[in-house]
Parts: sequence; C-alpha cells; structure tokens
Amino acid sequence: MGRISISHTPLPKMSYLVILLVIAFVYSAPLIVGTYSASLLRDAMLFSMIALGLDYLWGKTGTLSFGHATFFGAGAYGAAIVSTKLGLDPTLGSWLGLISGVSIAMLIALVVGYFLIFGGVRGSYFTIVTLALAVISEHVIVGWSDITGGDAGLLGIPPLFFPTLSGLAPLSPVVLYWFIASVVCLTALSLWWVCSGRYGLILKTIEDNEERAQALGHNTSQHLLTVFVGSSAVAALGGALYASTVGFVAKDIVGLILSTQVIIWVAIGGRGTLIGPVIAAIFVIWFEQRISSINVQLWPLFMGFLFILAVFVFPNGVLRTLVGILRKLGQRLEHRV
Amino acid sequence: MGAVITISLNAMTLISILMLVGLGLAIIYGLMGVINLSHGDFVTIGAFCLAIIQGLGGSFWLALLIAPLIGALLGFLTEQAIIRFLYARPLATIMATWGLSLIIQQSLQLIFGAAPQKVFSPLTTSINLLGVNYPSYRVVMVALSIAIIVMAFVIIRKTKFGLDLRTIIQDRDMAEALGIDTKFVYSIAFSLGTALAAIAGVLLAPLTAVIAQMGINYLAKSFFVVIVGGAGSVPGVVAGSLFVGGTETLLNYIVPTTLSQALVLVFAIILVRVRPSGLVRT
Repeated sequence: MGRISISHTPLPKMSYLVILLVIAFVYSAPLIVGTYSASLLRDAMLFSMIALGLDYLWGKTGTLSFGHATFFGAGAYGAAIVSTKLGLDPTLGSWLGLISGVSIAMLIALVVGYFLIFGGVRGSYFTIVTLALAVISEHVIVGWSDITGGDAGLLGIPPLFFPTLSGLAPLSPVVLYWFIASVVCLTALSLWWVCSGRYGLILKTIEDNEERAQALGHNTSQHLLTVFVGSSAVAALGGALYASTVGFVAKDIVGLILSTQVIIWVAIGGRGTLIGPVIAAIFVIWFEQRISSINVQLWPLFMGFLFILAVFVFPNGVLRTLVGILRKLGQRLEHRV
Repeated sequence: MGAVITISLNAMTLISILMLVGLGLAIIYGLMGVINLSHGDFVTIGAFCLAIIQGLGGSFWLALLIAPLIGALLGFLTEQAIIRFLYARPLATIMATWGLSLIIQQSLQLIFGAAPQKVFSPLTTSINLLGVNYPSYRVVMVALSIAIIVMAFVIIRKTKFGLDLRTIIQDRDMAEALGIDTKFVYSIAFSLGTALAAIAGVLLAPLTAVIAQMGINYLAKSFFVVIVGGAGSVPGVVAGSLFVGGTETLLNYIVPTTLSQALVLVFAIILVRVRPSGLVRT
C-alpha cells in the first residue's frame, strides 16, 4: 500500500476549516434537511463507526480486517438479546444491553485476536481469517434462530433512557440525533488525539517494519491486539447504539457484504485519516440508497467496480488523489508563469 | 460399521472438492503471494458451464472438458488485466479480487436469475462399497479428484514447468537470474489454478444448489485448507483438506451445521497458534 502518512505531520490549515464545516453541518442537519433525512444521516453515522474502528486498525497499523461488521453485529445483537430476552426493565435493560453488546464484541476480538496475533498471523493471512469470521458469524446468526431470530431478526429493542425533568425517558428524535453525532465526533476526536502523538508513531513503526519495532523494545503483538480489540469496541459501540436507535436488528448487519463495504468507505475516504472514512461512509451509503432504489441488484455490482477503482485510481483515497492532482496542476501553472 | 463407512465416504466427498479448490489457491498463494478472493467464483463459473452445456443438450463429460478451458481463459484474462499490476501490493490484490468476485457474482445473477440452475448428475445408480450402498457419482467424483491431485503432484515434481514453479516459490529473484520467465510462469500458474477451480465447480454442481453465490462458502473453507496445511505444496493441501473436510463432516453428525462450521474455524485458529507455518512445512 501507499507509504504516505499524515498521522504525525501537522494538519494543513485548510483541513481544520473542512473539519469545522463538516461538524457544523452535521449538527445543524436536522434543522436544514428535515427529520426524515436526518434519521438516514443518523443511521449512516452509526455505520460509519465501523469505518472509524477499521481505520484505527487498518489505517494506523496496516492490518486489514475483512470481518469488521462482525463486531458491529455482535454489539447490535448483544444489545438486542440482553435488552429483550432477559426480561429486564427497559430503562435499565437498554443501557445494560449497550454495555454487554460492546463487551461481547471485545471478548470475541480478544480471543480471536490473541490466537491470531500471538500466533504470528499477519498481513494477508490475518485478512483471510477475519473474512472467514464474517462468513461464520453470518451462519451463526441465521442458524441460531431461537436466540438471534434467524432470518427474521429481533424486534422491539428499547431505546436508551435518559434522566429528564419528568423522570427517565427516551430522547426526542432531534436530540437523539445530536447525541449520536456527538458520540461519533467524540470517538473520532479521541482516536485522532490518541494516535497523533508518540503512540501513533509506534503503530506506524509496526506497520513499516515490525521486527525493527520489536528490536526497539516494543511488544508489537500486544500493541496489535490492543488496537484490534479497541477497533472492534468502536464498531460494536456503533452496533449497540444502532440496535437501540432503530429498534430492530436483522442479519444484514453482520457478514461479508457489510464488512467489505466498510473497506470501501475507508479506502475511498483515505486510509489513516479517520475523518475521511466517516465522510466517505455517509456519502457511499447515500449513493447506495440512490442506486438500490433503481435496482437492488445493481449495488453489489457497483461495489465491485468501486473496489477496483479504489485500488487502481485512488490508492490513497479520493481526497488525497484530488489534492495531488490539484497540486500538480498548480505547479504546472506556476511553471508557465 | 456401516455408519463409519458412510461418514468416511461423505468426508471424502468434501475433502476431494476442498483439495481441488485449495490446490489452485495454494499454488497461486505459494507462488505469487497473491490472495485471490475471486477463486470461489471460478468454482461457480465451472458449475454454470455445466448448467449451460447440459441446457444445450451436451453431456456432463463434455462440460468436464470445456469448463477448465473456460476457467483457464478467464483466469488468464484476470491475471493480465488486474493481478499482474499488483504483485507488490498484497492488500490491494485482495481488494481488487474481491471487487472482481462481486462483479462476477452479480453479473451471473443478473443474467441467469437468482433461482438455482438445473444440472443433472451423469450417474444415478448407487454401488455397494464394503457393505454400504453409496451413490456411484460421488465415488467417481472422489476418484477423479484424487487422479487430478496426483497429476498435479507429478507435474509439480517431475516436469520442467514444475521445476520452474518450485524455483520461483523458493526465490523469485534467483529464478529470474537463472533465466526463468517468471511472468510467463505466473500467468500459466494462475490459469491452472482457476482451471482447477472450474473442474471442482463441475464436479460439485450435481451435489449442491448452483447459484451465483455458491463460491463463497468454498472460498472461506479452502483458505482454511491452505492456512492449516501450509501454502505452496501439494502435501500441504492434502493435509489441510483432510483436516478441514474431515472435522466438518464429523462434527456435522454431532452438532448442528452452523455450530460445526464455527467450530472448524475455532480449531483452525487454535492450530494456527500452535503450528503457525501449517501442518506440512515446506
């Protein structure tokens, strides 16, 4: 993959402006585009948590997971099962579900990650095993229908309850939207903050040359495992919030199709930029809905072409490729003058 | 006693398919370090070839001859159009071949529809093996697969092409310095791998539902074959297939299919922890 890294270089001034504009738009969206479009944007933001998680793993350490939807699904199904099947009071159950969903996903990541990473599985092998993880998790969700609802999914997941003046109550749609936007922004900012210093450089070293990083005294396997579990926690948080927000879960939130879609979001948005994949996720989901409204079968075909485009035309993401082209044009113009 | 024989025969059916699919994958991975996620779709293409040829009135055996040719041709085009530009970028290859896989699956579904294609088994009789009645088609299929694997083994061990192949697997730069045309060997090896997958598709088709997405299950399993067995050698593929196919068939008798597939994954992951370079070291 490209060896361009912007994680440890100061961001250009323009990008601060872009980030501020994006955040301003995200927060004001319910007032501009209306509640229905805002709810689509809200769901897209929840899905973009998988992209954030994957970018923490793939963008920062170069390890590609082909099964990250598994963790989103584990978070969502964990939350759904705990909050609906245990007979808990919904005010408590929704929060307990959120916590259990994230914990289950982290546990899966910890066990799978321990055996793989400490077993020396790296690079393409790691990608393949995570791909199998996605296939298997889909089988488990469909086959274990007494618990997961099988093909039908699970309905009636309670929303999150917050303390208000009149006791515990779910949030109104607009406030819920702001809550979710804040969770996504905070997660992105904390990941960016965590990776911007020395820690980010250590991860970069592991990506570039793991043996050398070991020689410098870093326990690289432990670092990779931490990142893997952390990145699944981010995806699972998105999943658990999705379950309580939408109120139902179905099998399309686990498995290969969603897992690989996330890779497209990260690849198009620019691997390692964190904000890029989130923006790309939102745009691609919007584009997907457009295309699927013409013919549902067209979307996977488009996705196939997007993959090949991403590899050959935008190896470093659309934004960086465009900036590169503009810079070259600028230089050429300067040359003429 | 009869049950044991039936179980072993069932296991052999799965193992022989996994060997064929896994061998192509292992050659491509061991040789070029390329993970071809569209490999499963060449199995699908083989199965669809059978459906088309039988639909036109051709026989099963004709399809068994034509499908590998089509598989090899499409494999050759894939290598020339996509893979050869990406040898230095392993993760990019994974993504590009996944894109190709989606394109093949979706195009097949758009052209032929989502309903399973009609295919007919060439043999409908059953034969008596050690006191157990077993479909003769499955027996023929296992025998054919073993014959193909032995042939592949002989090609890799005894021919000039096989020697070149093994040289490249050991040290590509040295092979090139010795005057081996690595680019040529790569594209031939890739086409051979996809041809093997297409043969597996024809053999498999009468036993399963022929749909555009059928390849994906075999893709994941045959990757386990390669990971468990160790990439780049025929004995590794055989060992891996025995492990994955044997475990899954056995578990299927004890626990539900879903759980057995999950357990095979768990076993494979544990095995990777214990023997990172695979069952058979090259």
